[in-house]
Amino acid sequence: VVDQTRLSLALAAAVADNGPDGALAVCQACVAWLPMTGASITMMDGGQGQEPVCATDSGAARIDELQFSLGDGPCVEAFTTGRAVLVPDITDPAEGRWPVFAAAAADTGARGMFVFPLHVGAAKIGVLDCYRDAPGSLSDHDLSGALRAADAAIWTLLDRVDGRTTGEGDPNGSAADEQLDGSTLARAEVHQATGMLIAQAALDATTALALLRGVAFSAGRSIADVAGEVVARRLRLDPDGAWHTAGTEHDTDHVTDVPNEPMSRDEETPP
Amino acid sequence: VSTPAAEREQTLVAAFVRLADTLVADYDVIELFHGLCADCVSLLGADAAGLMLGDQRGSLQVVSASNEDAELVELFQLQADQGPCLDCYATSTQVEVGDLTAVQGRWPRFVSRASEHGFAAVHALPMRLRGQTIGALNLFHRRAHVMPPGELAVGQALADVATIAILSDRSTREREQLTGQLQAALHSRVLIEQAKGVLSERGHIEPGEAFTRLRAHARGTHQRLSELARGVIDGTLDTTTLLS
Repeated sequence: VVDQTRLSLALAAAVADNGPDGALAVCQACVAWLPMTGASITMMDGGQGQEPVCATDSGAARIDELQFSLGDGPCVEAFTTGRAVLVPDITDPAEGRWPVFAAAAADTGARGMFVFPLHVGAAKIGVLDCYRDAPGSLSDHDLSGALRAADAAIWTLLDRVDGRTTGEGDPNGSAADEQLDGSTLARAEVHQATGMLIAQAALDATTALALLRGVAFSAGRSIADVAGEVVARRLRLDPDGAWHTAGTEHDTDHVTDVPNEPMSRDEETPP
Repeated sequence: VSTPAAEREQTLVAAFVRLADTLVADYDVIELFHGLCADCVSLLGADAAGLMLGDQRGSLQVVSASNEDAELVELFQLQADQGPCLDCYATSTQVEVGDLTAVQGRWPRFVSRASEHGFAAVHALPMRLRGQTIGALNLFHRRAHVMPPGELAVGQALADVATIAILSDRSTREREQLTGQLQAALHSRVLIEQAKGVLSERGHIEPGEAFTRLRAHARGTHQRLSELARGVIDGTLDTTTLLS
């Protein structure tokens, strides 16, 4: 219980940091507070593209490298299927899904491998890859912790997508707290708003979600809050990337140049 | 010649045959859940039904509702914090509230919101699997009503079907399977919300209406709801016909 609390604090700090080291901080939290020997995060796209973002140790980095050079393994499977891949023991002969990778991975000393897709609906961003040097399944608590770490990893990667790795931290702090209890990913309006931005500015889902996170961050507001504005059609995004706040769709009264200025709410327009 | 009781029985049998038929085919779990919620309304006389799954992070999330009215979905989601659904999930037992006004103190926020929406009675039925509870089925009635044992049994059977739907894919890697299926159901839900957003924007319609169009199109073209949603989001599907 203590470790779960500390894990949550570490994850919240990693997301609030909003800097280039956020992803690594998530991996380090997995090693510190979950029964993992190492962890790594890789950004992937639908095709062959993958970019190692960070790894806590050479073992984790080697495991990533192996799967991507072989084009097979739990990471590739987790990303492709969108499902967590939980392998209690990669050296178990009954685990026959990736024979070539398994043989090579065993040389790194890895036994348990736990890989989590970093997906939010159609936004497929990458994978969180954890391993440990002892065999065994994760407890319910540890699985829950690892899933929360994956949620945190999503937000740190979105910051990279949006290119805002300033390391300046969250201007108001509370937005990050709100994101990490999993509630933001459970909010329907966040995903509806993502869809609306996709349609408004011809974006892919990852970029749309990153921009939503970005504008919320710049305004010091929660994503759910900003998403509510988008769904209520009080905030919209032009194809050229400019945000508009408006009372109604037909009454755009001022343009805000996010992220330089916080957006202002327009309360005066009748519903 | 048929009596109301015989008719009801036929409807019930037809519903379960349809569900069994769905479970052997390659099915879309959200579509199936939506059908189950609709069955709760038609078979049990509920005024609204919703299905919540544990997200394995310690919280409950709405995955389906008998209608996608944003306020109704919000009322279900509110129970991630308090309400009969949360209690049902936590204790793995049926929670029956025939009259919400009698339990104001137990869930103040939930009761006041439910009353605002005109609901008077709530039942929550656990989705149980070998000692583990993975979610809950929630039934709302507009009038005070205690579901009789026969209705509760049908409701619980529908909740059990939902549980089977999550776990039908047999696998030796049971733990991985359960996590995969639960997360996949939540993930499909996110896809559908994103697609609702795209359609709301393009068609200038409400998200609830967007869901209705999406589902009608999926049925009409025999496509899986989540695949259709994916096509809407990534632009591979022309949404003109869907919105016309």
